[in-house]
Amino acid sequence: MEGQKLQGMVVRRVEKELYEVFIGPQHPGSGHMRIIVRLDGDVIVEADPDIGYVHRTMEKLSEVREWLKPIPLLERMTIIDACNITVPYVNALEKLMDKSPPPRASYLRVLLCEINRVASHLYGFGIFGVFLGHSTMYMWAFGDREVFVELAEILTGARLTHSYPIPGGVRRDMPQDFPEMARRAVRYMRGRLEEYRRIFVDNPVIVKRLEGVGVISRNKAAELGIVGPNVRASGIRYDVRLAEPYEVYDELDFEIPVFEEGDALARTWVRVEEIKQSLSIIEQAVDWLERHKGEPIIPKEDYDKLPKLHREVYEKTGRVKLLPAHATMKIPAGKAIARGEMGRGEIIYYVESDGGTTPYRVRVVTPSARNAIVFKYIVPGHRLMDLPAIYGSIDYFPPEADR
Amino acid sequence: MPARVSLKSLKRRGGLFEGIKSNIQALAVGVKYFIDPQRSTLLYPKEYIEHRPGYRGFIVFIKDKCISCAACARICPSAAMKMVRVTEVDPKHPDKPRQKQYPVINYQRCIFCGYCVDICPTEALYHTPFQDVVYESLADMFLTLEAFQLEPGRPSVSEGSPVVYEVDEERGLIKRRR
Repeated sequence: MEGQKLQGMVVRRVEKELYEVFIGPQHPGSGHMRIIVRLDGDVIVEADPDIGYVHRTMEKLSEVREWLKPIPLLERMTIIDACNITVPYVNALEKLMDKSPPPRASYLRVLLCEINRVASHLYGFGIFGVFLGHSTMYMWAFGDREVFVELAEILTGARLTHSYPIPGGVRRDMPQDFPEMARRAVRYMRGRLEEYRRIFVDNPVIVKRLEGVGVISRNKAAELGIVGPNVRASGIRYDVRLAEPYEVYDELDFEIPVFEEGDALARTWVRVEEIKQSLSIIEQAVDWLERHKGEPIIPKEDYDKLPKLHREVYEKTGRVKLLPAHATMKIPAGKAIARGEMGRGEIIYYVESDGGTTPYRVRVVTPSARNAIVFKYIVPGHRLMDLPAIYGSIDYFPPEADR
Repeated sequence: MPARVSLKSLKRRGGLFEGIKSNIQALAVGVKYFIDPQRSTLLYPKEYIEHRPGYRGFIVFIKDKCISCAACARICPSAAMKMVRVTEVDPKHPDKPRQKQYPVINYQRCIFCGYCVDICPTEALYHTPFQDVVYESLADMFLTLEAFQLEPGRPSVSEGSPVVYEVDEERGLIKRRR
């Protein structure tokens, strides 16, 4: 076996009876990362996540861009969850500027955040399905994600890179026919989740591969500091929307599903239940937006500054035009921390301003960066076959972790 | 009303009967879609998507409205837009040529965030609702001032028929011919 090359893997003898397998960093099978696994037979003795292959210096790049420009940049960390990842950054800027968005803008942000959350979970299911060899789930999840991507496109004008929130509000109002379309999508997805349950989550083949695999106990989850659906599957009641409600999450009626089993199946179920809750939030947000038609989506002091043409465009198309002052905007010196709940967990921004036109420091902690440690401490003891099941169930996303 | 925690637990799986039932359920769903598949594939280039008016596609410049303020070049997050200095005839004084700055765009860098369109104080830039444009070489993606004022040619219009995607309650995303 020594020096032998297998397709996509290099196998090399490290000790008697112990083999080292490199999984990745080619994209299919591991994402943009490498897991170095040491095997005794086919039981994993040691797993070493080797991350950093898609590090793009997001924090440093943010420091050389004017305040509005990091928004399209930071989206590129998790392109499938673009609104959730930018809202906390914008919240941090708003804290520094002492500005708050009007309720309608907050509801529009929440609406897009939940659309993104559903799309992000469906993306996770697709990858999970293909890891387990269940290609039906892959095609279905990606097909149904397209419904929510389409909704986001109608709302913002771009499929994935929405660049939707700006300090003080959002860039566009909802089109007239959007509520009806969103309600149809919600009803469709509810029916579809029942079919997902039958073909995937309750399918005995899938259940056998997930039940009791990758169990993270409550104590272990707290000790490792993992976040998001993974920690809620281990019985810890932690969600930023619950702990520190941002935007209008404290006005909405929804549940935070918590499971106690802590295995891969529980993590899958948390996501299914979260999709249901997100669909309910989409409905509530759309109802609220319909009841409060014509309310402003930017603060009054910003609206008063707009020239005549800008107001005309805003009244006619619902598009908020920026002022040339936005390009060289200065933000008062100070420090702000803002956090939010993404599809994969908690995201934290620390933004520091020295009063200039660019941030002095932008620190980002993404959920996947905190979840990567699961590979090191949870995977050993399982068989190699269980590794894709654990990987898929924690919904790890390398570009987000490496940032 | 703040969020509530709802503690749930996985249902206990029992016995052979449950296994057989779940297997049959899974197969039944599979058979249902085998007989009546749900497809929304776009047969490009025989069909092309007609996006809604708000879509952020290729950007076109209207020279007559431009006041040379350079706000678009300053807000561009990827430095795709640059100002060029041109000498042109002043309509008020035909004998005296004047120097003016106009934006040009490099589509190798553009990320279609639409900041330039939103910041333009005179609405001299607008989005076309499509993105399927082909350039023969990378150099062609660096538009000149003349090319920037024309809507880019869209080969799919001459070759295919337009379709729109709609959200349907029963079948998700459906394709409808226009």
